[in-house]
Amino acid sequence: MTAQLLSANHGAALAATLAARANRDGRGFCSGVYPITPSTECMEYLCQQQIEKGRVIRVESEHSAMGVCIGAASAGARTFTATSSNGLAYMYENCIAAACLRLPVVLAVANRTLGPPWNIWADHSDALTLRDHGLIQFYCADNQELFDTVLCAFRLAEDRRVMMPVMVNMEGFILSHTVAQTEIPDQSQVDAFLPLTDIPHRLDRTPHTLGQIEVPHQTEMHRWQHHNAMLAVPAIYGEIQDRFADIFGRRPDDPVVPYRAEDADTLIVSLGTIGSTAERAAEMMRARGDRVGALRVRLFRPLPADAIRAAFAGKKRIAVIDRDIGLGIGGVLWSELRHLADPATVMQNYVAGLGGGDIRPEHMMKMLADLEARDGGGAPAMMEAV
Amino acid sequence: MGYRHPSESSLARSDGLVLPLEVRVHGRGGQGGVTCAKLIAALYTQMGLHVQTFGDYGSERSGAPVQAYTRVDRTPIRNRNKIYRPDHLIVLDEGLIGAQVLQGIGPGTVLLLNTHAGLEAYRGRFEQYRLGVVDATAIAREQGIGSSSVVIINTTILGAYARLLGLPLAVLEQAYVSLGLGGDFPAAQHAYEQVRIAEPLQRIAPSAQPAALGEPAPVAALTDHDKDVPPTLKTGTWSNQIPVYGDHSAPCNLACPAGNDVVGFVQALRGGNVEEAAAILLRTQPLPSVCGRVCPAPCMQNCNRSAFDGAVNIRGLERWIGDHAELSLPSRRDAALHVAIVGGGPAGLSAAYQLALRGHDVTIYEAGPALGGVLRNGIPSFRLPQPALERDIDRIRSLGVHIRCNARLGGDDLRNLRRGHDAVIVCVGFGPAVDLAANGHDLTGIRQGLDFLAAAKQERVALPGDVVVVGGGNTAIDCARTALRCGAATVTIAYRRARQDMPAIAEEIEEAEREGVRFLFHRLPVAFTGSAKVSTAVLAEVEAGSPDASGRRRPVVTGRTSSMPCDAVLLALGQKSGLDLLPDGWTMKDGRAHEGGQALPVWFAGDCATGEGTVTHAVGNGRLAALAVLEGRAMAAAPADGTRVAPGQIRFSHFDLAAPNGDRQHLPSRLAGNFDEVNLGLADPGEAERCFSCGHCTRCDTCLVSCPDGVIYRTEDGYRVDGEYCKGCGMCAAECPRSAMEMQEKHEVTP
Repeated sequence: MTAQLLSANHGAALAATLAARANRDGRGFCSGVYPITPSTECMEYLCQQQIEKGRVIRVESEHSAMGVCIGAASAGARTFTATSSNGLAYMYENCIAAACLRLPVVLAVANRTLGPPWNIWADHSDALTLRDHGLIQFYCADNQELFDTVLCAFRLAEDRRVMMPVMVNMEGFILSHTVAQTEIPDQSQVDAFLPLTDIPHRLDRTPHTLGQIEVPHQTEMHRWQHHNAMLAVPAIYGEIQDRFADIFGRRPDDPVVPYRAEDADTLIVSLGTIGSTAERAAEMMRARGDRVGALRVRLFRPLPADAIRAAFAGKKRIAVIDRDIGLGIGGVLWSELRHLADPATVMQNYVAGLGGGDIRPEHMMKMLADLEARDGGGAPAMMEAV
Repeated sequence: MGYRHPSESSLARSDGLVLPLEVRVHGRGGQGGVTCAKLIAALYTQMGLHVQTFGDYGSERSGAPVQAYTRVDRTPIRNRNKIYRPDHLIVLDEGLIGAQVLQGIGPGTVLLLNTHAGLEAYRGRFEQYRLGVVDATAIAREQGIGSSSVVIINTTILGAYARLLGLPLAVLEQAYVSLGLGGDFPAAQHAYEQVRIAEPLQRIAPSAQPAALGEPAPVAALTDHDKDVPPTLKTGTWSNQIPVYGDHSAPCNLACPAGNDVVGFVQALRGGNVEEAAAILLRTQPLPSVCGRVCPAPCMQNCNRSAFDGAVNIRGLERWIGDHAELSLPSRRDAALHVAIVGGGPAGLSAAYQLALRGHDVTIYEAGPALGGVLRNGIPSFRLPQPALERDIDRIRSLGVHIRCNARLGGDDLRNLRRGHDAVIVCVGFGPAVDLAANGHDLTGIRQGLDFLAAAKQERVALPGDVVVVGGGNTAIDCARTALRCGAATVTIAYRRARQDMPAIAEEIEEAEREGVRFLFHRLPVAFTGSAKVSTAVLAEVEAGSPDASGRRRPVVTGRTSSMPCDAVLLALGQKSGLDLLPDGWTMKDGRAHEGGQALPVWFAGDCATGEGTVTHAVGNGRLAALAVLEGRAMAAAPADGTRVAPGQIRFSHFDLAAPNGDRQHLPSRLAGNFDEVNLGLADPGEAERCFSCGHCTRCDTCLVSCPDGVIYRTEDGYRVDGEYCKGCGMCAAECPRSAMEMQEKHEVTP
């Protein structure tokens, strides 16, 4: 294990490389890649790696990049790709295909808002469009977490009980381009952590088809199976956390990450790096005598509703900060969490940091002042992070 | 997540660094600011500290203000916000210094500026900060760090930063080596040594606080946000350099002894306009059909395209123009001077041409029966057919030049000419041929090559048997090839040096070889034997000694000899310089005659003055003499070497590979008696398409297309850059395929 100065983009690619090499005695590794800001550095780094029994194929579009991954996974290989923003939108059809075909593709997304008008900076609106189609979604807050989560994603995606794509999200630039020391495990550790990829329905010696036409009853059953596999993910992820801790000596964070939440009257709830800012805001509020805590939703799909409901229990006020907006309803995170709090809790949605605005603790303290003045939750509010 | 803390080095502990530390770097897209912040992070990593570094990327890309940040602490860093209250502020571009850059800095902040102004320029401005200034741009430029359009200073300024931190130079060097930046360390060391530091003037009160940051926007219902950000942004205010269009010297132009605007005529020809090309070429070149055949073409040896896919066949294009243009020059006689030209060779013809073009009254006095000198008497017609020569001479004659042939001057004739004219230009060429001081050199069958060539041009000369030619210049090659045409059974060239030392044109050597001429290198005849008529040449081996002034190795004749039977020997050892027609009391100085310390209106040009020995040099020198006459001064030196466009300044990637169009060759099946021209030149002028037009804008629009902001516009005579919006990114200059533009510091550009 050595510490390297790496950007999160490079960290994701290095984790994928180590995972790829770990499958060298199995059916190898194959990745289709296409560049788009801010995820480009990830695919560039991947292209530079020497991978035994592995190929990185540069294609002409994100749609084809995922197409390569689908083909490779259908043949039983380990697969990975990375994209952002409208690139993910262009990949959308094949993301759903990968999910419905139950192929364990790992997809790193450097989150960026959608255009036009064009804006290259971060918000979560790209990834959240894919929340309902059978891809597991993690949102990360720092370089090490991102690296570790990519490794976990391979194990989780390829678990026979799960067998579906995993998206690992990092906010564009804010995390994707931030360079920090990252602990990089040895190949032997990764080899021990990741079993050889074994996709039971891969196209092999026994002739069969994948994704042929089906009748309504079959679709109902497939969706139900997929949904139930999703619901099993938190428990399976728990096993993976244990295994990871055994091998690497550190335990990846839980699906929901609380910060001084237990004794808090007020919670700030968010996705991604906003969570670490919320922790700083909580400290500042506590210095003033207000019992504020934070809750970061790390696993968004499947939504760990039980864990969130438990964390919400008894809180007086909850501010849900969304770096996204579901047009016509409000923050996506908020719209999913609003029914998980006690009826007496004042829950308010704050939409902030769209298109890359830098949400600082000062912004959060203003939101909390606004929340304090409310008798009940209202329509989503917005704050310009300027 | 658990994170193993790196052990801190004693350095970080002893240095009094206050942690956590926040560093903010301001630069422009393309300057390396983000990398600068990463380097700073890496430097602190070397001290065993935790770091986090990131850039604040702009959508404006190159040239736009860019910020980058580095945080340093003893524990892993969770803060993901930008840095609003930096402890250290580094400004890579002084043009950026303003309220926005200085925002959030408090008393005692370390402020490092890259500036060409000294510390004094900032007196009174930053007194509560710890200020360092360094001209990192100058240092990095001197060290050659960066691209053709932008100097990259990040590795340089890090040296100054290390000095501000109080790091020992050795620690910095170690960091550079471990980062793989050892090559940039000398620049960093310069910056380390040259940074000037001013300590804060006042003691900082413990309560001193930076100015408050702006209040965050209010929280509002989504429907309340209906105000847009004003978009007007004069990005030109960001720039500190601007693109400047301007011609740079193409290597062909600089190399041409005649002073031809090679790029000019080739580009005109490229546009399909042979008459316009001729107009450009004929400004300096009265003998295009001649030089297009016999010039050694230093332009081609220097052509930047030779570093890509082969030099442009410039000589072939010149010949094309000479042979095909029908341009008639205006004959005028409206200027005042009466000038006598002594000698009708290339220098004399060139001088006469330049003066007659300008309307002066010119008379050429030629010793022989016709104009041309060596062109008529020396160069064989299979290289220079008579019609080609006549074509060029007719053009000169058509300007109204008076010609007196069979006018061999001597004694006091120059004095008389001088009295009868406003000026005299003497262009009589070289003196007599050099003889070979070898035993038996007066045997029959041994003769001067020049005499042989002259005879062969006038009549059928028979030269049967085995012929030895002594020498390595063009005369030797011409003699050898002419000998084959005069019936020689074998022809052998004996040369005292190596093949690569031969002064002859390389293609001529190859053609001679193709025709069957044999070469004996490192050989010099030391004796000839035979009864009355030469029958054997005794050749001594010659060794290469130490290099002489020309860089060639001095020949050292050894005692080892061999005999070679021969029936004839042609000597081509060069010609003596020296004037035998200077009247008593006259001296030549700087190409001009003097008497009793007094300059006379008599100039000298061509081989009699310079001994440069090629037709093209003579043409150039004759023109300079004509200009000297017009200005009544000494001969000017050839123009100095301007800013030469080097191959590295040509963007080869903008050009498609295209093999040179060679001259068409006519290989006679039987040489004896056949004096037909061997080289038939180009089939068409398409070769001009291959010209890169080094240093000269061709309106190719690459700059316009490359501009990320679309602020370059076409004008009637080129392009205009909108200074209000040009942010000085340098992409246009970097992309220019032919180095016809460059970035200049705004403060160095005169408006």
